[in-house]
Amino acid sequence: MRPPTRRRRGGATLPSGVMPPETVPVGDIETIIDQETTEDRPWLVIVWNDPINLMSFVTFVLQKLFGYSKEKATALMLDIHHKGRAVVSSGTRERAELDVYRLHEHGLWATMEQSG
Amino acid sequence: MSSPIKRRRDGRYVIRLDANARVVLANLAAQLPEALDARDPMVRRLFPPAYTADDQAAAERDYRELVDTALTNHHLRSLETLVSTAETDSLSEEEFLAWLDAVGSLRLVLGTRLDVHEDMEAPDPQDPRAAEYGLFVFLGELQYLMVELLAEDLPDEGRPEGAL
Repeated sequence: MRPPTRRRRGGATLPSGVMPPETVPVGDIETIIDQETTEDRPWLVIVWNDPINLMSFVTFVLQKLFGYSKEKATALMLDIHHKGRAVVSSGTRERAELDVYRLHEHGLWATMEQSG
Repeated sequence: MSSPIKRRRDGRYVIRLDANARVVLANLAAQLPEALDARDPMVRRLFPPAYTADDQAAAERDYRELVDTALTNHHLRSLETLVSTAETDSLSEEEFLAWLDAVGSLRLVLGTRLDVHEDMEAPDPQDPRAAEYGLFVFLGELQYLMVELLAEDLPDEGRPEGAL
């Protein structure tokens, strides 16, 4: 099942080409640009090695949830196993949270962090 | 020997398990909801953090608030299905998937309690943890066979559109 939709604090996004009606004080522009670039960096979903989940189960979950080929899911599972962690998906914060939630539903140790 | 877990032609799943193993499974699954409701430290492994960076503590609180109830209910439903169908001859696909979830949750909880680590050797039969470790191994075998069967249905080449 999906988690409930997160209520965004900001307003709706304007269609491209439409300028927001408010004017922006010049001094704030750099701050705004900083925030926007921070928000644009994709979020990475990471699965960590854990000593309990079976390797075949981890591969199965990655195939099932992300539609990965058996080859790709197996390579990710082996990365998790040997390197301790692997990035299994990336995207917006909302997308990453949903992926983390779905991995948690399946008992995998998943976290998310912004690429940097 | 052929797998004790099969899907019949009518799409229902059959798990060959003796009566004793079914009682043990149902009993184990029946114990977990109380621990889940009470947020016993023993079930912490079922609720990993999403955000771990120091500067993401607020995001982690928001995430927990957003999903904890849904995640708890997800696990509870699977455990309830396992308890209520532990003694039935065949399972629907939905019930079979609930078993997979429930068996996985039980393994995680038992494995955490036993502090299982890779290359761990079975405890000595006199060790007080031996019985629980035996259950952990049994759950692992069950999960392995269930996954083996379900994985046959997944296309090796994956799905072209990727996620969902």
